[in-house]
Amino acid sequence: MSSATVAAAVLPNRRLAGTSPRSRAWGRFKRHRLAMFGSGVILVLVFAVIFGPMILPFDPLHIDLRHRFAPPPGNGHLFGTDQLGRDLLVRLLMAGRISLTIGFMAMVVSTLIGTSVGVTAGYYGGLVGTVLMRIVDAVLCFPSVFLLLALAAFIKPSILTITLIIAATGWMEVARVVQAQIKALRHRDFILAAEMLGASGRYVMTRELLPNAAGPIIVAATLTVARAILAEAYVSFLGYGIQAPTASWGNMLNNAQQYLNSAPWLAIFPGLMITLAVTSFNFIGDGLRDALDARMDLT
Amino acid sequence: MASFLLNRLIQSVILLALVSVIGFAVLHLAPGGPLSQFALIPGMTQEQLAHIAHEMGLDRPLPLQYWEWVSRLVTGDWGHSYRDNQPVLAIISGRLPATFELMLTAIALAVLLGVTVGVLGAVRRGSIFDSLATVGAMVALSIPTFWFGLIVIYIFAVKLGWLPAGSRSTVGDGSFSDYFRHLIAPAVVLALVEVAIWSRYMRGAMLDVISQDFIRTARAKGLSEKSVMLRHAFRNALLPMIELAGLELPTLLGGALVTETVFTWPGMGRLFLDSLGYRDYPVVMGILMVSAVLVLIGSLFADILSAAADPRIRL
Amino acid sequence: MNDDRHTTCTASAGGPSRRRLLALGASAGALAWLGPQAGWMAQALAATPPAKPTGQVVIGLSQEPTVFHPLLVHIEVDEAVYFNLFSALWRVDPKGNFVPDLVSEIPTVENGGFSADGLHWRIKLKPGVKWHDGTPFTAEDVKYNIELIQNPKFLAGRKAGHELVRDITVVSPTELTWRMDKPYAPYPAILSWTFFVPKHIFEKEADPNKPAFVNKPVGTGPFTWVERIPGDHITLAAYPAYHGGGPYLERLVIKYVPDLTVLYTQFQTGDIDYIGLQGITPDHYEEAKALADRVVTPVPQAFIENIGLNLGKPVFKDLAVREALYWAMDKKSIIEQIYYGLPTPTESYLPMQSWAYNPDLPKQSYDPEKAKKILDDAGWKPGSDGIREKNGVRLEFTNSTTAGNHVREQAQQLLQQNWAEIGAKMTISNLPPAVMWGDYWMMSKFDSAMVGIDFMVGPDPDATDFFASKSIGAKGGGGQNTCQYESPEVDACLAEGASTVDQAKRKAAYLKMQQLTRQDLPYLPIFQYAMVQGVKSKLQGFAPDVSVQENCYNANTWYWA
Repeated sequence: MSSATVAAAVLPNRRLAGTSPRSRAWGRFKRHRLAMFGSGVILVLVFAVIFGPMILPFDPLHIDLRHRFAPPPGNGHLFGTDQLGRDLLVRLLMAGRISLTIGFMAMVVSTLIGTSVGVTAGYYGGLVGTVLMRIVDAVLCFPSVFLLLALAAFIKPSILTITLIIAATGWMEVARVVQAQIKALRHRDFILAAEMLGASGRYVMTRELLPNAAGPIIVAATLTVARAILAEAYVSFLGYGIQAPTASWGNMLNNAQQYLNSAPWLAIFPGLMITLAVTSFNFIGDGLRDALDARMDLT
Repeated sequence: MASFLLNRLIQSVILLALVSVIGFAVLHLAPGGPLSQFALIPGMTQEQLAHIAHEMGLDRPLPLQYWEWVSRLVTGDWGHSYRDNQPVLAIISGRLPATFELMLTAIALAVLLGVTVGVLGAVRRGSIFDSLATVGAMVALSIPTFWFGLIVIYIFAVKLGWLPAGSRSTVGDGSFSDYFRHLIAPAVVLALVEVAIWSRYMRGAMLDVISQDFIRTARAKGLSEKSVMLRHAFRNALLPMIELAGLELPTLLGGALVTETVFTWPGMGRLFLDSLGYRDYPVVMGILMVSAVLVLIGSLFADILSAAADPRIRL
Repeated sequence: MNDDRHTTCTASAGGPSRRRLLALGASAGALAWLGPQAGWMAQALAATPPAKPTGQVVIGLSQEPTVFHPLLVHIEVDEAVYFNLFSALWRVDPKGNFVPDLVSEIPTVENGGFSADGLHWRIKLKPGVKWHDGTPFTAEDVKYNIELIQNPKFLAGRKAGHELVRDITVVSPTELTWRMDKPYAPYPAILSWTFFVPKHIFEKEADPNKPAFVNKPVGTGPFTWVERIPGDHITLAAYPAYHGGGPYLERLVIKYVPDLTVLYTQFQTGDIDYIGLQGITPDHYEEAKALADRVVTPVPQAFIENIGLNLGKPVFKDLAVREALYWAMDKKSIIEQIYYGLPTPTESYLPMQSWAYNPDLPKQSYDPEKAKKILDDAGWKPGSDGIREKNGVRLEFTNSTTAGNHVREQAQQLLQQNWAEIGAKMTISNLPPAVMWGDYWMMSKFDSAMVGIDFMVGPDPDATDFFASKSIGAKGGGGQNTCQYESPEVDACLAEGASTVDQAKRKAAYLKMQQLTRQDLPYLPIFQYAMVQGVKSKLQGFAPDVSVQENCYNANTWYWA
C-alpha cells in the first residue's frame, strides 16, 4: 500500500516555466494530462456517488431473493444484482460514498498527525526530533498490512474506527516528508529573522514553516487518499471491514470472492472502482508534485 | 565505516525494542484472547479456563509478561505456540523458505522487467512506450493485489485450467516442474506492484544520470548512443536500485501476506493471519520481530551501499 | 472381514469440541444416525480391497489440525488425525450402537460389564494390540489415560464423566475394573471419543501438557505418523499391524487449504480426493454435482443453526418479543434461497436422527401479521421512527456471529429486513472469532447471536451445558447457557435424563424438554445443517456418517478401485 506513495515519489518531475508561483503551478498542473484525467474521474465519481443513488430507482438495502445473481445488464439492473438480489450499481455508488469518505477522512487525520509530528520533529530537532523520528521508524518497521490487522483486532468496525486505524498506519510517510522539509527550511534566513524578532516557536512553526511546506504536504495528502482507499479494501478483504448491510468497495469484493466462478461481475465491478479511484488519486498526486515542486518555487 | 556500522546497529536495537513494545501492547490490549478457541468445548468450565490461562501465563500483569517474554527472547527462546506447542522460532523458520521463495521470485521478476521497462522508458522518453509504461505503472500500483490475484485465479486456474489455484505443491509430487507451476501465479501477482515501482525508479534514475555531465562528455567524445546508455548511464543508474531493494522489503512482506492468503501459500504471511485469528501471541510477536529484523537489515544494507558509494555520508 | 469392517469400522465418534467449528463460522462434519448413503454403499461393495496397502488419498480441510495429543484441550479439526492415528475403547455406529474398538466386547449388564445401578464397570480389552512402536497395549494404558485426565495439572479437553471414575484396578493386561462415584448416562458416549496415548512414552515426559510426543505421536490406529509440514499438510502411512480392518491405503495426506473457494477449486482440479469438514459451500453445490467422476452429497449434521437471544437483556425478557421475532422470521427463504435448500427446517435443538428427537413440536411459519399482533397485544407500540418500544425499552438489538462467514451474513441481512417489517431494529455486529467466542459469548455480553450449535454430548442428547440454570457463565456457572435461560422444569428434565440409565425414561424427559424450549424460545431454531461433502467416485469404502464431523473416521477401509 505504501508502494503507491513510494512510486509516486519517484515519478519524474516535469519542470515548466511560468510567471507567478501560483499560476505557474496551475499551469503545470493543467498540462499534466494524467492529473487532469484523474481530477475529472474523481469529480465524476464524487458527483455520481452523491446524486446517483437518488436518481436510480433501487433501494441499496432492499433484499429480493427472487432476483439474486441477475447478470448484467439485466432487468433494468445495468450492473446486475448481487447475492441478495440488490441492484449492484446503486450499491457500488453507496459503497463509493463510504470508501471515498474513509479515504478523505483518513487523509485528513493522518495528514494532521503526520504534519504535527513532522513539524515538531523538524523544528526542534535534537532529542525531541530524534525520539519522534525513531517512533516513526519503528512504526514503519511493521509492514503496513500487519499493523492494520493488529489494530483492526481492537475495534468494532464502523466508518469512524476503520478511518482511525487506517490513519494510524498512514501518518508516518507524511511525517517523514514534512520533517525533511522543515529541517531544510529551519536554518534559512527568514526563519532565523523571525526568531530574532522574538517570534515564539509555535508562531514560527505554524505561520512561517508550515505554509512553506504546504506543497509536499498537499502531494503526500493526495497520495494518502489513494493509499487509504486501498487500505480499506485490504482490511475488508481480510475480514475486518465495515459491517453488512452497509457496502464499501472492499467488503463488496470480500463477499464476491466466493462467487468468482458463478457471478464474476460481483468481483469485477468493485475491483474496477477501487482501481479507478486509486489510480486517479495517484495521477492527481503526481500532477500536484510537478505543479507544486517546492524546490522550484523556493529556490 | 566501523563507527557508522556500530551507530546503525545501536539504532537498530533501539528500534527493535520499540517495535517489540508497540507490538506487544497492541496485541495484548486488544479484546479477545487465545482462550476463546477453547471456550466452546462442551463441558468447559470457567474454572478450567482459568487453569489454562494460568498455565499459559496469561493471568499475570502485562509488564511482567512482556519482561519475561523479552528476557527469554534475548536468550534465543522465543516461546511456544499456543496452538501446537512448537517453539516459535522453529515454526517461523519452517515457513520462511516458502515466503522467501515467493519474494525472491517476485523480486527477480520485478528487477528484470522493471529495469528493462524503466531503461527503455528513459531512453525513449516521451514516446508512446514511455507514456504507456507510465500509465501502466500507475494503474498497477493502484490495483488491489488480492483482487488481481482473484482475477488471475479466475482466468488461469478456473477458466483455462493452466495453473493450479493455490498451494505450493501437489502433495506427493515433489518434482521441480510441479513446484514451478505452483509458483508462477502468486509470484506474478506479488511482482506486479514491484515491477511498477522498479520501472519508475529505474526510469527516474536513468534520467538523472543522463542529464549529468559525464554523459554529455561521453557523447561529445563520439561514443555510440547505445554504448553511452549501456556502459555509462545504465551502470550508474543501477546503484540506487540496489538501495531500493533494501527499502522495498516492508512493501514486499505486506504484499506477500496478501498473496499468500489468496493463493493459500504456506508462508509466513499466512501464518501471521492464522495466528492472529487465534490470538497466538508468541507466534504473532515472533513474526513481527522477524519482519522488523528483515526490514532493518534491508535498510541497513541500503545505507551501507549508499555510504560505500558516497564518501560524504558519515553518519 | 468385509462384514467386520462395516460393523467395526464405520463406527464413529463425535468430538467433544465439534460444535466449536460451526460456531467459528465453519461448519463441519456429520452425524450418522442416517447411515451411509445408498449410492456410496453400493460402490463400497463393488470392488475388493487390494492385498497390500496401495495408493494415497488427499483429504482437504479448511482448518489446520495442530494438537496431536488427543486428551489435551483441542479443537475439532484435530480429530481428523485422531481417528486415524489413535483408538478408543469403542465407537458409535450409524444407528447409535456402540461397537468395539479396543475392547473385545461392549460392556453390558448381561455380560457383567456394568452393574445394574451403572456404578461398577468391567472392561475387557482385545488381546495382541500393539502401539505403533511395537510395545503391547494393555489395561495399564487405559488406567494411565483416565488418571491423566483426572490429574488437576493436566489441561484435559474434557473432564466431565472421567472425574467420576474411582478405584481403577488392573485385573490382567486385558481387563480392568472401576467404580463410578454416581451414575452418569452420557459416560459411554464420552468414552467413544476418548482416544488413548501410550503410557510407556508419557511416563518419560517431563510435562504432560507440553509433551515431546506431539512431534511424533504414537497410537494404535490404522495409520502411523510420517510428517507434518506446518501450514500445509500432514502425512500418515499404513500401519500393517492394525487391530481392525485395513488399512488399504499406503498413505493418507491431510491437507490444509484455508480458503473454502480454493479448497473447492482444488477438488475440481483433482488435487484433493475428499473435501471434509466444512465441505463444499452451498452455492457451489449445483456446480459440484455436475463434475465428472465425483460424488457430491449433502450429509445431515448434528448442528442446529439458531438465533440465541440473551435473556439477560431487558428487550428479550418478554416472551412476546421472542415469539414475535420467531413468527417474523422468513425461514423458508433462508433455507431455500440462501442455503440452496440443503438444510432441513427444525423446531428442536436436537438433530432429527437422534433417538430423543421430538417430531411433534408446533411448526413455525412466516407470519409477520401475527408477529405484529403479538407485539401490539403485549404493549410494544411503534415509536416516532417506527421502532417499537415498551416501558422505555426499545425493540432494538445487535446480532453477532463470526466475521467472514458470508452465507450466514446474508441470512442476517434477510432477518434484519424481516424484523424491520414488524418494527424491530436489528444491527449486525460481527466479530473476529477470538473476540466473538471469548467473554463476549461465554459471559453473555451479546444481545443476540447467530450460531450453529451441536447441543448434544457426542451421540448423547444430554444438553445440560446449554440449558441448565447452573450452566450460566455470567452467573458463575460452568457451562454454556449463554442465553441465560432459567427454567426449573428444564432443570428437572435434564437431571432426570442424565441420572437414569433407563432409555425410555430418558427419552420421556428429553421429549418434554424440547417442548419447553420450543415454548420459551431462548434460541430461535432455524434449521439442521447438511454439509455438502465431495469425494472422487473411484474411492471405495468412503461412507459418510452423521455422527462425526470428519468422514475420514473410517479411512482404514478406503481403497482405490
